[in-house]
Amino acid sequence: MPARTEAAGRRVRPLGLRYVLTEGAQGFARNGLASAASVLITAVTLVALGGALAVAGALNHVAAALEQQLQVVVYFRPGVTPDEVVVARSRLERMPGVAGIEYVSSQEALRRLEAQLGPRAKFRDLLRHNPLPASLVVTATGSDRLRAIASAARDLPGVDEVRDGGLVLERLLGVTRAVRLGGAAAGVVLACIALVVIAGTIRLTVFARRAEIEVMRLVGATAWFIRWPFVVEGAVTGACGACGAAAAVAAGYALIAGGAARALPFVPLPGAGEVAFDIVWKLVVWGVLIGVTASLLAVRRYVRV
Amino acid sequence: MVRFSRVSKTYANGVAALADVSLEIGTGDFVFIVGPTGVGKSTLLKLIYREELPTRGTVSVEGRDVTRMPARDIPFLRRRVGVVFQDFRLLPRKTAWENVAFALEVTGTAPPHAERRVTELLETVGLAARADALPRELSAGEQQRVSIARALVHRPKLLLADEPTGNLDPDTSWEIMRLLAGISEAGTTVVVTTHDQTIVDRLRRRVIAFDRGAVVRDDAEGVYAGED
Repeated sequence: MPARTEAAGRRVRPLGLRYVLTEGAQGFARNGLASAASVLITAVTLVALGGALAVAGALNHVAAALEQQLQVVVYFRPGVTPDEVVVARSRLERMPGVAGIEYVSSQEALRRLEAQLGPRAKFRDLLRHNPLPASLVVTATGSDRLRAIASAARDLPGVDEVRDGGLVLERLLGVTRAVRLGGAAAGVVLACIALVVIAGTIRLTVFARRAEIEVMRLVGATAWFIRWPFVVEGAVTGACGACGAAAAVAAGYALIAGGAARALPFVPLPGAGEVAFDIVWKLVVWGVLIGVTASLLAVRRYVRV
Repeated sequence: MVRFSRVSKTYANGVAALADVSLEIGTGDFVFIVGPTGVGKSTLLKLIYREELPTRGTVSVEGRDVTRMPARDIPFLRRRVGVVFQDFRLLPRKTAWENVAFALEVTGTAPPHAERRVTELLETVGLAARADALPRELSAGEQQRVSIARALVHRPKLLLADEPTGNLDPDTSWEIMRLLAGISEAGTTVVVTTHDQTIVDRLRRRVIAFDRGAVVRDDAEGVYAGED
């Protein structure tokens, strides 16, 4: 007979959070490899979802920055006369929705570019002529005015090209929507796979404990009481997967954003820390949701009262 | 205590377990349900603790129609109806004490009260000395005593025993039956299915005989086989 002390053997555990958490954690630990597979598939699912969220978030960030600029830049052709500039400026000033106009000479444009690129660029050494045109930077009162101002500016004398912030913004928002949609579609497909894998794993626990479940039903334990430990097991699986996925997405983002920042210094990308903070709670919510749904699927048949 | 009104039960596989059964079991009764295997005795008990629903008819327990009971109320019905099985259904990795305690634990009984109750019940069934033994260390009769103690944790008004002596030798069977009779004398209604003729004939209690899903005999102080 195994040695048993009375104090250890004869105790009734109070019901509550601790009971449920202990039972759930035991189920998770007992399944070992199967639990690890569940966490892995959940992480893969959430990496797809988190990747899409991170990319869409970064694009949104860029779009928001562009939207705040509310600018139409009117570039003059080379050799524009001062009179033409004055005429263009006074016509634009009379347009509704124009909040302000700033003239940027070609020397000023070169100075600003050098300031933005820092000491790496030495244009003055490379180029004999300043290639940058003079321009008018028109600030609009709202983003809805950008298109009208831009199309009017195109017909002005001496104007070569007009860069419409509104158009860029629209395209960017289009790309953001596509990324979101693609991410959601991939997420749904992968979530279904994760659901099946997690449910299969939890079913192992249900099977290992079927005698206990049978006794619980017999002595009048409520259905929710019987389910709780399995729900906890599912939630733990989902949360572990989510944390792994968030770490992977943040690391991936840091890598890509670092490269992007070097290649495209004009684009204002959000920092990796900011992105991680933004997606981690969303992924945990989704992970837990998937885990809990899977556990309810797994016990549905066995815990019918 | 229990009333069956024109109850029929046909399982999904087509087996007709009960056909138009009406019967009544009064409070404090001790009733034997007898008959050959597979004539609906177990089904009768399952209908009482709502493990199964009848195909037709109603079953009421303590005045309440359990066939129309919402699922969320079933656990509370089962706390008022104790059930004992031929195969004991004890958890093999828990001691006798823990097996009884488990029933209180999972129904949310406060630990100090539960611990007193377990000790008291093991004394009632005469197993206080074997409290810390695992089921495999106990004899079949002792295991059945543990399962009876477990069925009594919530002080049920009704105790159902499905072939409780089916796995026991005659002497042990008689001891278990005497224990059940004692529980009945303390005021609990006891319903026992059996085909142990010796015990039924010796105890001289109410006997309801089943054959092919129907009541064929119901004697107040009956014996196993009819004298007709």
